[in-house]
Amino acid sequence: MALIEINGLKKSFGNLEVLKNVSFQVEKGDVVAVLGASGSGKSTLLRSLINLEQIDGGSVCIDSEYLIKDGKYAPSAKIRKITSEMGMVFQNFNLFPHLTVRQNLEMPAKFAKILSDSELTQKADALLKKVGLSDKADVKPSKLSGGQQQRVAIARALMLNPTIMLFDEPTSALDPQLTGEVLSTMRQLAEEHMTMIVVTHEMGFARDVANKIIFMSDGEIVETAPPHEFFANPKYKKAREFLSMALD
Amino acid sequence: MQYIFNIFMTLLEGAKTASILFIVVILLSLPLGFLFTLMARSSIAPIRWFANAYIYILRGTPLLLQLIFIFFGVPYLPVIGKYLVFERFTAALIGFVLNYAAYFAEIFRGGLLAVDKGQYEAAKVLGMSRFKTTVFVILPQMIRVALPSVTNEAVSLVKDTSLLYAVAVPEIIHYATGIVNRDFNVTAFAVAAAIYLVMNTLLSFLFKKLEKKLEY
Repeated sequence: MALIEINGLKKSFGNLEVLKNVSFQVEKGDVVAVLGASGSGKSTLLRSLINLEQIDGGSVCIDSEYLIKDGKYAPSAKIRKITSEMGMVFQNFNLFPHLTVRQNLEMPAKFAKILSDSELTQKADALLKKVGLSDKADVKPSKLSGGQQQRVAIARALMLNPTIMLFDEPTSALDPQLTGEVLSTMRQLAEEHMTMIVVTHEMGFARDVANKIIFMSDGEIVETAPPHEFFANPKYKKAREFLSMALD
Repeated sequence: MQYIFNIFMTLLEGAKTASILFIVVILLSLPLGFLFTLMARSSIAPIRWFANAYIYILRGTPLLLQLIFIFFGVPYLPVIGKYLVFERFTAALIGFVLNYAAYFAEIFRGGLLAVDKGQYEAAKVLGMSRFKTTVFVILPQMIRVALPSVTNEAVSLVKDTSLLYAVAVPEIIHYATGIVNRDFNVTAFAVAAAIYLVMNTLLSFLFKKLEKKLEY
């Protein structure tokens, strides 16, 4: 069984069907780039995996446990356990502005009770070093650039030892000169074989780092392919149109 | 000079009463107000209705009327009235707390609206419970947004302590009026005004400091 199995996922906002029967699988260690125009349902798909969107039908199975089976949600304790396998990084970082960088990393992990206090400090130090922000541990997020904030957000998610990382347009709110530092942190994660699903408009990242491309259009997965195939020779007209616009 | 000093010492007695009222009201009405804010957002409709009706009535009628009602009116209520006879100061205290809680509830409601939706989502995906999210993520941000308005209300409260006059609890104006009537000299009113100004200046200074501290 694949690490993530999604079958027949459906979701509507009122009369608008944002996900129509979406199915795909993610293997352990996969880096999946989800591409598609705005409004194609990419973010909704990602958010429903971690229970930020209520789904209307279908199944989501993570690491052999059903978050949703045929439209029915697992009991809330189980939902919490399953979603704790995943870390999520948002477009707008969503750091806690009233806490320092270190507190942002340590507070949720402390509540999760997975580490002792001294281990918390060590782990936070190690992760800040990894994202290159050791010297910023004691400042508030407002003193950081967008790229630095996003790297803190990645470190914060990693504090909880997720097996899967979800990225919802992690560089879309950043100036072009700041996207590089975030992408290189993500690239590093991919090299460590973290399973990642990345909703992105960064075609370079999708081509070089992902091993699987999912292309969505109007709430459906139109094409699933390895990046070299997808970028060299997209099978479907919509994918070709999207690429010719995106790579312009 | 000696005359002004004597007035000042007498009025200080009233200022003491006003200060005690102020401190107790602030300490009780802030948490009560937040409770009403949460109730007004409850998913259980009757709780929401109650909180909204409460806020509507308490903000829509004069504090003076509420004070007089609690002290003079409530004891006349059928059945429960005889158990609700309060001392003057206690009656006033209850009235102030209930009234200011309604204002604070509205201020906090605005503060909550200012907290970004992404904060709830981030806390959720980080596995935090709703309670911990409210206490450790939302509340601190709400307080920071609400603080300038809370300062405003606190300044009003200092002045509103003069309404104790209506239920005949001796406070600053009570003493000042007594002196003016006795001496046919309005100096006491000027001293009273100065005392209010000093109290509010001090208060604004403290809240400014707090604001600085909560800045991010």
